[in-house]
Amino acid sequence: MGALVDYIQFVLVPQVFNGLTIGVAVILIALGLTIIFGLLDVFNMAHGEFYALGAYLGVTLAGRGVSFWLLLLLVPLLLVPVGILVDRALIQRVFHRKERHMLTMLLTFGLAGVMEDVFKAIYGANIIKPATPLTGGIDFLGNYFPTYRVFLLAVGALTIAGVWLVVNKTSFGAMVRAAAFDRQMAASLGVPVRRVYSATFAFGVALAALAGVLLAPLYSVFPTMGKDFILLAFTAVIVGGFGSVRGVVLGGLLLTQIQSLASLYVSPVWGDPIVFGIMVLVLFVRPQGIFGGKLGHA
Amino acid sequence: MLRIEALHAHYGLSHVLQGVSLEVHPGEVVGLFGRNGVGKTTVMKSVAGWVTPSSGSVKFGGVELGGKPSDVICRMGIGFVPEDRRIFPGFTTEENLKLGFLQCPGRTWAEDRLALERAYQRFPRLKERRRQMGVTLSGGEQQMLAMARVLVGAPKLILIDEPTEGLAPMIVEEIFNTIDALRRDGVPILLVEQKVFRALDVCDRFYALERGQVIARGDASKTDDREALRQAIAV
Repeated sequence: MGALVDYIQFVLVPQVFNGLTIGVAVILIALGLTIIFGLLDVFNMAHGEFYALGAYLGVTLAGRGVSFWLLLLLVPLLLVPVGILVDRALIQRVFHRKERHMLTMLLTFGLAGVMEDVFKAIYGANIIKPATPLTGGIDFLGNYFPTYRVFLLAVGALTIAGVWLVVNKTSFGAMVRAAAFDRQMAASLGVPVRRVYSATFAFGVALAALAGVLLAPLYSVFPTMGKDFILLAFTAVIVGGFGSVRGVVLGGLLLTQIQSLASLYVSPVWGDPIVFGIMVLVLFVRPQGIFGGKLGHA
Repeated sequence: MLRIEALHAHYGLSHVLQGVSLEVHPGEVVGLFGRNGVGKTTVMKSVAGWVTPSSGSVKFGGVELGGKPSDVICRMGIGFVPEDRRIFPGFTTEENLKLGFLQCPGRTWAEDRLALERAYQRFPRLKERRRQMGVTLSGGEQQMLAMARVLVGAPKLILIDEPTEGLAPMIVEEIFNTIDALRRDGVPILLVEQKVFRALDVCDRFYALERGQVIARGDASKTDDREALRQAIAV
């Protein structure tokens, strides 16, 4: 009996907690991805690079003496005009073409490559490790939880709740959902569709940037950092269901727990194959995702 | 207040509107009739900004609408109730209704509330179903919702495209009674309808279209004009 309690306390709980941190990280990145997809029907291949841009901007501003807590607000806000610009200059330019899916994918893919190189040119290829803003840990029932990871979970939960509220309970969210379903009818009810598109793209980009600032102290900052989580984020979006906030949260949590428990019970090298195997399975059985639908079912 | 002059429109190679001219005056319900595919809906869509005319002019209160985006046209005071109702999934009845407020950002919460109450008075069934998902309503109720959604925004002119299509006879009567009530309230309407002679009872004037052109026009209450309409569209 004692052995079982010990096992749960010292093996299972830390593993689940670790999976939870990664889960929140993935969800924070996937939220913007799914919102942009749900409304604009655009796969933002540069989403991981906006996440990296947020992290680099945070590093730069922190170097100028801006406090970490201020960065959490400042960096996402600074990325809003960037998002609007990218939407106006790249996405809207090809939005009405028939080959929109392919063109937006290629455009954002190209943008991702350019951004990665710019990071390399400015900051070099080395890994930057920002100081952890909260040190120490919390003892809880004999387990040790690093304070910053606990903080990350709390901020992650608040952000998820905030995004859900914005999408489902505000008039901006109503405009976004209405425009996602039926652009023409939404416009005829007075929704300024173009501006809503830009604002939504910027909102998604700002969320990625927030994730960049939040996760930098844990996972470090380097030019290709965007690639690390984006694959899992895309998988969470696919498994959870495109355009669904609830889907992305449950998909993200489910996949990262499976990954983390698979590496415990099967083998660490089997974590990724199992997760991506699930994605392939979902695509076969239920291509719209487990909670699939557009933003309205968020 | 609405003045369409020599309007031409194309869908690809097909020349759908070939010089349509018509007018809607304040306080007037105007019927637009004709067989399927003669361009009635295209006229509506040209006014609402869903179709960009190839030439001609659409003026509302003296302002040219051609080329303006739909949301600007909506905020100028034109409400559009399209053929297939276009109720948003994922929104309750009341949430669908509230989308009609979006165009009036200056309005207070109390004014919005009042507009909502008025809509519920006009359509008591929508009040009963206000928490139900809009897309789960019956066809007739969805039509009422689509009309109410436009009405809460206090439009100066409403375009209603085939409101009774596919509805049960009792509901059809209800929809016509609603349009009649709107007429008595002085709301100008441009109405496209297949049930021509029932529709004439709620119209002040009418136009008949054939192959993208106006082939008859007249006063809905005059027997001669009604007879001319009957011959023009051969019903």
